[in-house]
Amino acid sequence: MNASTAWWARTVLGPWTRTANRWPALRSLLPFVPLIALWWAVAAAEFFPRAFFPGPPEVVRSFFSLMYKGILPAYLGDSVARLAVGAAVGIALGIPLGLLVGLSGRAYKALWPILLFFQAIGDIAWLPILLIWFGFGLTTMTFVIVYTVLFPIVLNTVLGVRSVPLEPHRAALSLGASPARVVWEVVLPGALPNIMTGLRNGLGYGWRALIAAEIIVGTSGIGFLMFDARRAGSVVEILLGMIVLGLLWYIVDAWILAPIERATGQRWGMVQRQ
Amino acid sequence: MKRLELNKLSKTYFDPYAGSQVTAIRDVSLAVQPGEFVSIVGPSGCGKTTILNMVAGFLPASGGEILVDGKPVSGPGADRGVVFQSFALFPWKTVLDNVAFGPKMRGIGKSERERIAREFLELAGLAHAADRYPNELSGGMQQRVGVVRALANHPDVLLMDEPFASVDAQTRMTLQEELTRIWQERRTTVLFITHDVAEAVFLANRVVVLSGGHVKTEIEVPLAHPRRWDALVENEEFKALTTRVLQQVRTA
Repeated sequence: MNASTAWWARTVLGPWTRTANRWPALRSLLPFVPLIALWWAVAAAEFFPRAFFPGPPEVVRSFFSLMYKGILPAYLGDSVARLAVGAAVGIALGIPLGLLVGLSGRAYKALWPILLFFQAIGDIAWLPILLIWFGFGLTTMTFVIVYTVLFPIVLNTVLGVRSVPLEPHRAALSLGASPARVVWEVVLPGALPNIMTGLRNGLGYGWRALIAAEIIVGTSGIGFLMFDARRAGSVVEILLGMIVLGLLWYIVDAWILAPIERATGQRWGMVQRQ
Repeated sequence: MKRLELNKLSKTYFDPYAGSQVTAIRDVSLAVQPGEFVSIVGPSGCGKTTILNMVAGFLPASGGEILVDGKPVSGPGADRGVVFQSFALFPWKTVLDNVAFGPKMRGIGKSERERIAREFLELAGLAHAADRYPNELSGGMQQRVGVVRALANHPDVLLMDEPFASVDAQTRMTLQEELTRIWQERRTTVLFITHDVAEAVFLANRVVVLSGGHVKTEIEVPLAHPRRWDALVENEEFKALTTRVLQQVRTA
């Protein structure tokens, strides 16, 4: 080992490893360092007018200013609450519906074609008619989010139910479980890894649909913030909105979805660990 | 400990490719006495698993009847415990909760059913694995859990479908010895399905040779329990019985 690698190990690598072990989230931030540096460099070089292509300092400044005015927390709260309500309703409807369609041959025959049909009419394709029916308001937005969250959950729940192997099912029955208990004790946990996939997809699509809906019908929320900024010609705030969207999804994934997946399918050996 | 009786059991099904009825099982009559261990042995495709699936209630019979303690069988039930070749443990439950599942379905409270489960895990030498998940155990350990999960529910009859076919040869011998020990202690009525002649003879009081969906012959095994492989490999009576069963299976 020569002197420079020893210096590197002592002053950079060592402290970094210790810090990153203490705050694992830092490791996921590392890939963004070159990206932000590039952005900063391009902005600083002023290939484009600064108002047209602002750099990181302006965005950070705008973040603090909007936080101080209370606009960003309020809008963020609105968007997250809408997503949470949409997700809750989507889960409450989607999992039972998926169980029904997955378990009953008759329900499958009757409902599967309808599900596929309506799945194809994507979220924002409903907006024109919803705007006529419900106007520019919360009803329209809630409908769009629930609709978007619902289908991935239903379709993946059906898939999960149908992929539960026969043997655990039979084992439960010959251990004295009633058909209803089998649904609760075998079908639901057996389908859970697929249900989680559905939830992950549903929330992802729902998040995008929400922003689209807020841009078109919103009076608040991150989507509205960005569209409103466009009207005011504030590229800084548009960029800030985009960054918030990405960060928020990262938080949902790292703090909610991934821990559930680690504690269920991965723990049970039903899903391969990454 | 109850009597299991099959009367003129038959199974035919429609083969959509051949476009005709196929007979899988015809006129199988068999009585397993209370506390008796009966092995059904036969080449693959002879219908032995079909018989077990009908006794377990997973498949309806086309004709004849199945009686447990004189009562006809319709559908799966806790009176017939099943041990599967694929173990069929619940991956989302700990070993303890797997074994406690039967008592839970009978409405036994949490602390009592966990006490029962621990007692049975002790019986299989698995007390240390109670809080682990099935995927963290070896195949042999998983099947031990499968056996005690069925036993913890106190079934009248224990049905075992090639339970040791997918574990390695050494573990299989250990599991077979443990099974004869547990059977001797608890005297459960057992119907054991296998294609392994030595296994069938080693475990059972009586070996039933199945061929083309009907009973070809029955051979009594008057060896003392519990049985151990190191004692029996050189045992002339065991060798003679194995040879007799093998001849019947080979000419099946």
